[in-house]
Amino acid sequence: MLAPKQIDELRAAVGDGGLITAESQLQTYECDGLTNFRVLPGAVVLPRTAEEVQAVVRTCARHRIPFVSRGAGTGLSGGALPAAGGVVISLARMNRILEVDIANRYVLVEPGVINAQVTQRVAADEYFYAPDPSSQSVCTIGGNVAENSGGAHCLKYGFTVTHTLALEVVLPNGEMAHFGAAALDAPGYDLAGVFVGSEGTLGVATKVTLRIVRRPEEVQTLLAAFETPSAAGQAVSDIIAAGMLPSALEIMDTLAIEAAEAAVHAHYPMCGGLLLVELDGPREEVETLMREVRAIATKNRASEIRVAQSDAERALIWKGRKAAFAAMGRISPNYIVQDGVIPRTALPRVLEQIEQMSSAVKLRVANVFHAGDGNLHPLVLYDRAIEGQEEIALDLSYRILNLCVDNGGSITGEHGVGKEKQQALGYMFSEPDLQTMQLVRCAFDPENLSNPDKVFPRPRLCGDKPGPYTPHPLEKAGVAEIF
Amino acid sequence: MSTTATMTQEEALKRLEAIAGPADAQVDGDAIRVAPGTAEQIAEVLRFANENGLSVVPTGGGSKLGWGNRVTPEIFLAMKRMNAVREHAWQDLTCTVEAGCAWAAMVLELAQHGQMVALDPLWPDRATVGGVVATNDSGTLRVRYGGLRDLVIGMTIVLADGTIAKSGGKVVKNVAGYDLHKLMTGSFGTLGVITEVNFRLHPVEQRTEEWTVEGDTETLSALMMRVLGSTMQVSAMQLRGLHRESSDRLDIRFCGSADCLARHREELKAIAGNLAVAAAGNDVWSARGRLIDNAEGRDGLVFKATMLPGQISEAHKRLAAWGGETICVTQACGIMTAAMLDGYTYAEQLIGELRESLRASGASVTILRVPETMRGEIDVWDCRADSLPLMREIKRRFDPNRVLNPGRFVGGI
Repeated sequence: MLAPKQIDELRAAVGDGGLITAESQLQTYECDGLTNFRVLPGAVVLPRTAEEVQAVVRTCARHRIPFVSRGAGTGLSGGALPAAGGVVISLARMNRILEVDIANRYVLVEPGVINAQVTQRVAADEYFYAPDPSSQSVCTIGGNVAENSGGAHCLKYGFTVTHTLALEVVLPNGEMAHFGAAALDAPGYDLAGVFVGSEGTLGVATKVTLRIVRRPEEVQTLLAAFETPSAAGQAVSDIIAAGMLPSALEIMDTLAIEAAEAAVHAHYPMCGGLLLVELDGPREEVETLMREVRAIATKNRASEIRVAQSDAERALIWKGRKAAFAAMGRISPNYIVQDGVIPRTALPRVLEQIEQMSSAVKLRVANVFHAGDGNLHPLVLYDRAIEGQEEIALDLSYRILNLCVDNGGSITGEHGVGKEKQQALGYMFSEPDLQTMQLVRCAFDPENLSNPDKVFPRPRLCGDKPGPYTPHPLEKAGVAEIF
Repeated sequence: MSTTATMTQEEALKRLEAIAGPADAQVDGDAIRVAPGTAEQIAEVLRFANENGLSVVPTGGGSKLGWGNRVTPEIFLAMKRMNAVREHAWQDLTCTVEAGCAWAAMVLELAQHGQMVALDPLWPDRATVGGVVATNDSGTLRVRYGGLRDLVIGMTIVLADGTIAKSGGKVVKNVAGYDLHKLMTGSFGTLGVITEVNFRLHPVEQRTEEWTVEGDTETLSALMMRVLGSTMQVSAMQLRGLHRESSDRLDIRFCGSADCLARHREELKAIAGNLAVAAAGNDVWSARGRLIDNAEGRDGLVFKATMLPGQISEAHKRLAAWGGETICVTQACGIMTAAMLDGYTYAEQLIGELRESLRASGASVTILRVPETMRGEIDVWDCRADSLPLMREIKRRFDPNRVLNPGRFVGGI
């Protein structure tokens, strides 16, 4: 619980209209897209300026109040889950595009700007903002920065970090700092590179300078139907081996196709493994490469090959793909979205093992993946109403992540670790790796206030004295344990 | 290092010989040069140095040892024994390379499967993977493929206290944990020693065409901005300015299918108008390395300036107006390398002016080579970032005893 004096200070920072303390209203903020974790915050603030954010963070720092910043709350790993009784800083009102420089190819935005709005703003000049998470019509740039969001087109264009040139950040002690610049290679450590993807644990971004990209002359999208996801996966390997770098390479299995069809009628061919290939670039180049892709699909025995004939058709194909997660609700009462990564050559082996694991516990697993970069999104389908099934489903989803690590991959490609995958991070990294990451955390946030108890497997404290072990005061007092 | 508070050079040498083997620990002037063969040996060397307050400079080919503030260490940690391409997972478009591997040796190995790390750093025969990453060097491919931040996907490092840590991994798409490898890239060996780097790879460009256009700075800069804003597939583009020549050169490399290249050629000629467009010479893309070598021979001053593409024209004109003998080459992404070959009397003034004019956009001027006559007179970094206290705190957490490259980096880090 926040003390009345603390509430007063927060009100002074953001004004009456920017503070929420009524429990009924706080409930709106008790979770993000990972809805099975819920925590009620002590207060929510809605600042309008970087200075207001700074005033809030200073208040939090002064009273050691944990805070969690939040954009649209679409995150899937619990990154925006509040700290119990702490402050949620919603950046929804900081939603202005401050500067557009087409010639120098960047835009300056506030963190509450919605991803798709950036592209809308520069579309008339034939530019676009490349990272395109499936939630792009609602998710915010601030959240994208926190999670280093990807999307279907990051195979060619890279991730949020590729497109983040500079940041204005309120550090956890309330100081403001600037990382990077619109010009490349600012002298000093690449703090922008570290901050992007740090899941809100290193401070609050209040301005973001984003790189924008010239829209390609030609875009072509092909659908090819295969008997199995592995057969589609072989076609992906052949495309890569031929030296091509498509802008997107996606695979959906039967369950995912069924769900997407039920939700948006994308007119996908029914098959065991549907491959989506998008190529972009100069016209002649795209045409040449598309012929090669067709030949590769045919060689791998695609039963049907279809190229979108219009922008509308292409948009529908993508609508189906991007709706795939939400569409699971059509074929299953409950589901868990996972986000593992494997080297793409491990795809057939891993798919087979997932199949075995799912039939062993009699649960269905739908597969949607960014096949080009080996990013799997297994969707574990279950029914919460059946006693014990949720636990089995969760266990299966975590075992799938471990399987990814065992195959040389990662526990998350774009959704982040958040609250959901803290233990899995401990499976992927050794203790010295985690200790070293903790050095970064301690340099930014020695009091552990900014989105505390996320990402890392165990709570850690920042002992100030390096060298021989000395117990932290909190540890001596029996309040906390150092691992 | 004749003596330190705790230990003579002779004693230190004995310890280092015991770690790396007698053949790989030798006195080199005032320092000891030790060449460990494994990450564990590096950890032992660093632990030893850390406990005894001995400063360490990790070194690969030594090609960029002069960059940053001068450091006179007690130990040179030579990476030459750790020079293997450990893994080339060509079907996954990734590789793992030891830090002491010469860039060119890696290039050869990856080319066997038609792949590359899409970066062309300075002096690839000498420069090592670790050195290129630690200095965040990049070349002409940057405009198309981005910098090392976009190409390094994982790393193994050894901290000053001997901790061996990994970050990232061997997959391109990965957001698990903090990206320590991004912090290490460009940190000039002040936070840890890089022992192994994982890269994402690209297919080698199969067909390219290279053109050079001659004209005045203003016209060529405008042409460059037009090409940059077009849909043409540009794999490299640079503006070269040469003292004593009235015109500049704009070099452009296109990549793509034969049809695509043919159309780009026509488009370029059309937008170039009256300017002469000729096939580029073989050596234009190594202009940056030659420029620095030239300055080396004449004890010149070399700097790297970063700017917005729209500022390139003005920066070139400022340099030309200076009056001394200068050469510069600027990548279209906004990275200029320039050499001043004589008349340093006003060099400081010019650099001051350039820094002032670029600062508003967050651009920067970093001096890579200070002439002997100017040593100590000029601030090579000029970092005025308000994040400097945070950078110092990161350094303090990683290397509290200031063992690694002390003083070499921004703000005396």
